[in-house]
Amino acid sequence: MSSREPRASGYFRSSYDQGLRLIETRTQWTSLIAFLLALGAFPFLATSFQLDLACQVFLAVIGSIALMLLTGYAGQVSLGHAGLIAAGAFTAGILFKEFGAKFWITIPAAAAMGALIGLIFGLPSLRLRGLYLAVSTLALHFIVIYLGGEYETKRGFSTGIVIDAPRIGDLVLRDRKIWYFVLLAFAAVTLLISLNLLRSRTGRAWAAIRSHETIAEALGIGVAGHKLLAFVISSSMTAVAGALFSYYRGFVSVEAFSLFLSIQYVAMIIIGGMGSLLGAILGAIFVTLLPYVIEYAVGLLPNARSYAGMLAAFNYSAFGIVMILFLVFEPQGLVGIWRRVQNYFLLWPFKQKPLGGGRR
Amino acid sequence: MAELEVEKLTLRFGGLSVLSGVSFAVEKAELFALIGPNGAGKTSVLNCISGLYPGEGVIRFRGKSIAGMRAHHVARLGIARTFQHGELFPHMTVAENLLTGRHSRIRTNPVKEIFFSRSVRGEEIAHREAVEEIVDFVELERYRNTQVANLPFGIQKIVGFARALAMEPAILLLDEPSAGLNRDEREDLARFILRIKHELGIAMIWIEHDMQMVADLADRLHVLEYGRSVAEGSPDKVLKDPRVIAAYLGSAAR
Repeated sequence: MSSREPRASGYFRSSYDQGLRLIETRTQWTSLIAFLLALGAFPFLATSFQLDLACQVFLAVIGSIALMLLTGYAGQVSLGHAGLIAAGAFTAGILFKEFGAKFWITIPAAAAMGALIGLIFGLPSLRLRGLYLAVSTLALHFIVIYLGGEYETKRGFSTGIVIDAPRIGDLVLRDRKIWYFVLLAFAAVTLLISLNLLRSRTGRAWAAIRSHETIAEALGIGVAGHKLLAFVISSSMTAVAGALFSYYRGFVSVEAFSLFLSIQYVAMIIIGGMGSLLGAILGAIFVTLLPYVIEYAVGLLPNARSYAGMLAAFNYSAFGIVMILFLVFEPQGLVGIWRRVQNYFLLWPFKQKPLGGGRR
Repeated sequence: MAELEVEKLTLRFGGLSVLSGVSFAVEKAELFALIGPNGAGKTSVLNCISGLYPGEGVIRFRGKSIAGMRAHHVARLGIARTFQHGELFPHMTVAENLLTGRHSRIRTNPVKEIFFSRSVRGEEIAHREAVEEIVDFVELERYRNTQVANLPFGIQKIVGFARALAMEPAILLLDEPSAGLNRDEREDLARFILRIKHELGIAMIWIEHDMQMVADLADRLHVLEYGRSVAEGSPDKVLKDPRVIAAYLGSAAR
């Protein structure tokens, strides 16, 4: 909520409208435009492998922002995230295979499917909390994976469903460069929707429910309705990410959606920093790139070839160690580190923020 | 018609009888203090009124029964409350806490919010202005954009008080607003309570342990002991009542 720190001294708001703007100062505009230019230039400078990594990051960003809304803001724990991604992917895959449905039908259909599943699997949250709720969302994962597996075997696609590259008008989404911009756009829209919800009534209600359910209720907030809303919106976004994933890969199969994927998403929001959209983005980047960094690092070791078979083991254990290190040493996640660095430069030559009052 | 009537309010948790037959009525702009020793059931009375506990009996707000209503519906009718330990939202700023208090007054829906449409922006600005009036009323200007977690306890209590006020209630339920406040802060609080009574005309049910403050400010007192009504009336009369003294000090002390 107060994650936006001022970028320069001497900026004073003179209307409430200014306080509602997402981008306030000229410096912020300049950095945003520079950032967008860099993002726009990236595909023309990057190798095909780097482009693939960027696309994976964008998909992960959509998923982790969605989970951040649900867990980091509304306080509802979910381990069903991989199930929702699978539901979106299968919705797109099945609609394509059975009815030859187009991109502009399958994506909204996946969103609707996600919303429906979110509504159903949000219901336990009205009674259960914390770990118990997490276990109930596990059911979602296994049901979706079971149904997806049944579909594959019954229809004879036992290795998975192959999906053709989608078309938008005459444009065929086959080139990685085009995919890069499409996924970037989806991620940006997801971020914007989240920012808008969080700075209005719904976002405050979620934050209230996260800290004190009873108090929220006593303030006139319909707790049940807002919890379900969090599940519906988050699940809908996640299912869209799943549908995009299936198109991007051109292939849907239950193997891609293991329980480990759910845990990776939970890791993204913890490593990134709970209760921060920037955290969701940083966490998604970190967790997506970590295995590649490890692979690269192992490649640098002498005798690299002899370790090749152990790469998966390296990955899992490094992932576990990183999680533990973050939980112990940096519970605020990457965004906590980012804020510390930012404050260091903002306050220099001083070390401490002034107490209370003063600025926002 | 009384603003709030409570008749034969009874509350049981299994075999434990918390309240038995508590009755009182509060008038408009009345400062009605609810006192009694620890465990007498004062907070339980407030919890029953706000719909957090399932009490039996009659609770009427302006003649309309609200017993058994869900807590958020009761709040929307205009019955606001504070909590003993503040119970604020620590990650939010003071202004955001108060805006959360205005939740049921803000007219937007999630679809409009997704686009942050012109009407959402308009509502946000209008309610931010309303919040500023409350901030001004309780003299929290210094802290309006400070995260609540960083504020001292005394200020937090005032913020909790302001959050209830931000709901623009008809009745304010105050659960030990002065507990944990120092002398200066208590004096501020007394001033705010009197201003609410005289300027806003809001009825208040006020749980308080500071007998000096109660004697000075309250219009009427209602004394509870072991979940039963012991006495009711003006402060000077009630505080001299031997049954009240016995309830507080024990009968052997006299």
